[in-house]
Amino acid sequence: MASAVAAPGHQDRYAGLKRHEVILLFVLIAAIAVLAFRSEQFLTTGNLLNQGRLLVEVGLMALPMTFIIITGGIDLSVGSIMGLCAILLGVFWQKLGLPLGAAIALAILMGALAGFVNGWFITRVGVPPLIMTLATLALYRGLAEGISQARSVRGYPDWFFGLGQGELWGVPTQIWLLLFFFVISAIVLTYTTFGRSLYAIGNNEVAARFSGIPVDRIKIAIYTMSGLMAGLAAWVFVSRVSTTRSDMGTGLELDVITAVVLGGTSIFGGTGTILGTALGVVLIQLLKNGLALSGVKGDGTIVVIGVILILSILLSDLLRRQRGAEH
Amino acid sequence: MTAAVPLLRLEGIVKSFPGVRALRGVSFDVRPGEVHALLGENGAGKSTLIKVMSGVHRPDEGRMEVDGRPVDFGSPQEAQAAGIAAIYQELLLFPELSVAENVFMGHAPRLSWGGIDWDQTRARTAEILQSLDIHDLDPDAPVGALSVGNRQRVEIAKALSMNARVLIMDEPTAALTEADVERLFGIVRRLRERGVGIIYISHRLVEIFDLADRVTVLRDGEYVGTHAVKDVTEPQLISMMVGRTIDQLYPHRTANPGKVVLEAKNVAYPGTVEEASLTLRAGEIVGLAGLVGSGRSELAQILFGVTPASAGQILVDGQPVTIKSPADAKRLGIAYVPEDRGTQGLIRPMRIRHNVSLAVLKELARFFFIDRGREQELARRDIERFKIRASSMDQVVGKLSGGNQQKVVLAKWLATRPRILILDEPTRGIDVGAKAEIHKIMSELAAQGMAVLMISSELPEVLGMSDRVLVMREGRIVAGFDRAEATQERIAAAMMRSAQQERAA
Amino acid sequence: MAATMALPARSSAGSRLRRFVFSQEGILLIAIIVLFVAVGAYNQRFLSANNLSTIFLGNAYIAVAAIGMSMVIVSGNIDVSVGSLIGVLATISGTIAVSGLPLWLAWTLPILAGMAISAVSGWLVAYLRVPSIVVTLGMLSILKGGLISVTEGAWINNLPEGYHLAQLRPLGVPMAVWFMIVLTALAAFWMRYSGFGRSIYAVGGNAEAARLAGIDRARTVFIVFVIHGFFAGVAAILFATQLSVIQSTVPPNLELTVITASVVGGVSILGGTGTVIGSTLAAILIAAIGSSLVFINVSPYWLRAVQGLLILLTVLADLARRRKRARHR
Repeated sequence: MASAVAAPGHQDRYAGLKRHEVILLFVLIAAIAVLAFRSEQFLTTGNLLNQGRLLVEVGLMALPMTFIIITGGIDLSVGSIMGLCAILLGVFWQKLGLPLGAAIALAILMGALAGFVNGWFITRVGVPPLIMTLATLALYRGLAEGISQARSVRGYPDWFFGLGQGELWGVPTQIWLLLFFFVISAIVLTYTTFGRSLYAIGNNEVAARFSGIPVDRIKIAIYTMSGLMAGLAAWVFVSRVSTTRSDMGTGLELDVITAVVLGGTSIFGGTGTILGTALGVVLIQLLKNGLALSGVKGDGTIVVIGVILILSILLSDLLRRQRGAEH
Repeated sequence: MTAAVPLLRLEGIVKSFPGVRALRGVSFDVRPGEVHALLGENGAGKSTLIKVMSGVHRPDEGRMEVDGRPVDFGSPQEAQAAGIAAIYQELLLFPELSVAENVFMGHAPRLSWGGIDWDQTRARTAEILQSLDIHDLDPDAPVGALSVGNRQRVEIAKALSMNARVLIMDEPTAALTEADVERLFGIVRRLRERGVGIIYISHRLVEIFDLADRVTVLRDGEYVGTHAVKDVTEPQLISMMVGRTIDQLYPHRTANPGKVVLEAKNVAYPGTVEEASLTLRAGEIVGLAGLVGSGRSELAQILFGVTPASAGQILVDGQPVTIKSPADAKRLGIAYVPEDRGTQGLIRPMRIRHNVSLAVLKELARFFFIDRGREQELARRDIERFKIRASSMDQVVGKLSGGNQQKVVLAKWLATRPRILILDEPTRGIDVGAKAEIHKIMSELAAQGMAVLMISSELPEVLGMSDRVLVMREGRIVAGFDRAEATQERIAAAMMRSAQQERAA
Repeated sequence: MAATMALPARSSAGSRLRRFVFSQEGILLIAIIVLFVAVGAYNQRFLSANNLSTIFLGNAYIAVAAIGMSMVIVSGNIDVSVGSLIGVLATISGTIAVSGLPLWLAWTLPILAGMAISAVSGWLVAYLRVPSIVVTLGMLSILKGGLISVTEGAWINNLPEGYHLAQLRPLGVPMAVWFMIVLTALAAFWMRYSGFGRSIYAVGGNAEAARLAGIDRARTVFIVFVIHGFFAGVAAILFATQLSVIQSTVPPNLELTVITASVVGGVSILGGTGTVIGSTLAAILIAAIGSSLVFINVSPYWLRAVQGLLILLTVLADLARRRKRARHR
């Protein structure tokens, strides 16, 4: 990922990021050390693998969110899409009687459709991403609540839980899924024309258009991907907790956005890496874990997440301005 | 008009920006009750001068006086307080708020207890509009729904609400209908009667002869001269504006124009291009001259697909084509080096290597993966061929000089192997050395058979580089000259709506 | 004066009435009337005194919160943490009430706290230029998580007599409704007649033009957030004093309802326009819609979907209106 040419005395867009990721790495190591010291349960394989299991949903959604924020957009509706897909999964299987495999596929497809709707209105109608996804955050969650009538779906067959609760070669199954998409996303972002276009759009959308880059098509694609991943995350989640409820994923957009921003992606667009996002996701999960092991209940951890979101934006803003001052 | 103390006087104003000396010792003054026109080509320094007058910029050297007292404006507010108001082309209004509120924003009349007196605000707005003989503007109407002409009148009313004694108007008639222009003249005359000093910037010579009392000409940031309008003729003004020795050497070429590669027939785009037709042959350089706002860049953007034509036809190699996006244009072999390097041409935070490949990402890729090796090779070759001065191909483009930045944009587009190259102000804001290099490249490309359309506001460049010169005015191509018959005066005369042509019409 | 004679029918009552009817406020008023009439005709119990009381008394605090939110949105920003803020302030109010301190403190300290907390968000947005969506997203979880961590989910009961301010009925109308009406009127008046009120519209409408008119953008935005905290505090008091038990959870969906009220009330999310009268009317309309769902046998679980749809439709209509205006120039 790092450039082959690293001539001294030049500024490139990686320098600042390298600093950010390095800082993050150090913070991560420090956090691990502190948490291991405070609780002997922390550094066990069992615990770590379990934490890995728990971060997959956020991790999956953070991948396209990185793309979106790099282009200068945002998607607040991911948590709601996840909830909607979870409900639809249950509805397709239980109410409509579809075979479970088909129900899963269809639910994920609906997620992609939900994301496509976002992307279409943002590009063709011109609704700012913030407002569009704020409206769909409500709309999609509302659909989930309305369709489910707050009733949950249970009774899935045993094989269904393999994804969320099972293991493959000693590692929780869903982690393999996440790793797969993580690798693909990293490759796409760093090495393909698509990834390069994302950075171009985020830095200067006008110039990107003038260069013949299909900006609208790309934007629709990334919002659709975001919905698709939310659908995938829904499948993993339902498989992990064994039921479907309409409030699933509430507030998850906060975790996802925080992870991406913490990982060094600027909220204003133009910079960001998948590796950074991955570090961000891991760090947040470890923090949650550490707090839980110290006796802080689940709701308390979101205080920390909120503080981290604000601090990481301030930090990345500070770094950006420092770099700008050197120009 | 009285020979009283000037309302505003500037002497010896010098102002420089990084890389360009915009004003080199300019003097100017405005008397009460006069209309003083400011004339000059694009880039002559007019806009910088009015920004100095209105407090947006502080001069590096020189003095300013208001009513004979020295002043030094640190902000536009200070200039406003001194009675100087400017009306720019981009109107600064609040679209959701009413006319009256826009006029009095920030200084609305108050009631005894401190709240805004809306009745007074409306009444005084109505008074101001009345005094300007404007009877059809409702003070309660939201500004966003008004026509350009009406919004401009709101700006004028706003200036008067702050008791402006000097009113600066920058190309006020550029976007107006004939009827609105007439009304504007009426307003200007009324203001003059009241003793307001009006600084009027315009390219339309007929307006200047019609309205102005005096005219000052700037050229390349230098002060050329001031005359009473009745003492000067149009040819004299034109020659003051453009007359300069061509001391630059242009690469000598013999043109061998081949067949017609591009033809535009009556293309139009609402608002900017009325109806334009041109032909381009392989191996020739066609210069497109015209004033700012004449529609040249807009025409180029039609040909390049940024703003597809709303009417007319485009033919490439004799075949009619539809160009609905830059991607379409690229496929047809058309490339466009835009006017605004920083916003349209480059991605400043990105490296040279990534900028030059931006238009050919797909070509450099195998199954969507960018071939880094080929990209590096491309960048290396471009840096060598165009003599781009940078520490390495990984240098961030934003830190390069103007000339080198332009070379990067040029390199980017030449990588697409176009047959038709449209250059929009290719040497604007560039040092002499880089200019010469870019001209040399252009000549070589033409010699190799490329059809080149060069939009330029520098008449010497147009004359020196072009095999043929086209002149655009108000959205149409109004004149064409061969190399032999083209002179600066002829081109400039065609660019501006001359008084004789007006009378002949 | 010649001016009044020469101008077109600006001051005629007829044109003023027409302008009102077609304004957002007029449309909302008509919609409210239509809704009440239609649903009331379908199911008479919708118009019962009890139900009307529920609609107005129970939701007045949302209208009050929407006053502050409208100001924030007019200035070009947003606050998605207002629901959590109200939850926190309500808990503070209840805690003070049961602690033996004078009751009036339980009614005033939360307002000060609201202003202080909102000032933090406002400072980050105005002076550090952090986008408001991000600041308030973070603040949302800080407040929500903080509330639950501190209270550990405990409920506050045995609230003292006399605490229930919102339920007093001067002249037969619940106090909460009085607050809603009076505060809306005062805020509307202030936003119309004060220089600062107009500068909020300027900053949200065209930041560059506002700067040239001498308006300090950062200061304006900061103060708007503080004022917003005030209204959140009042809303929290009205909310808390209606309940016999204060739960230490944040009322679900609250920020969305408040934002919907503002947006549907005509406050454009793009900034620069909208009134608090509109947001109050919209709050009433949304409350009425929510209540009516039960009476027309639609499950109340569809309420959030309806809100989302309302936001989307309002935004689309706003965009269409702006585009039409631009084309007709």
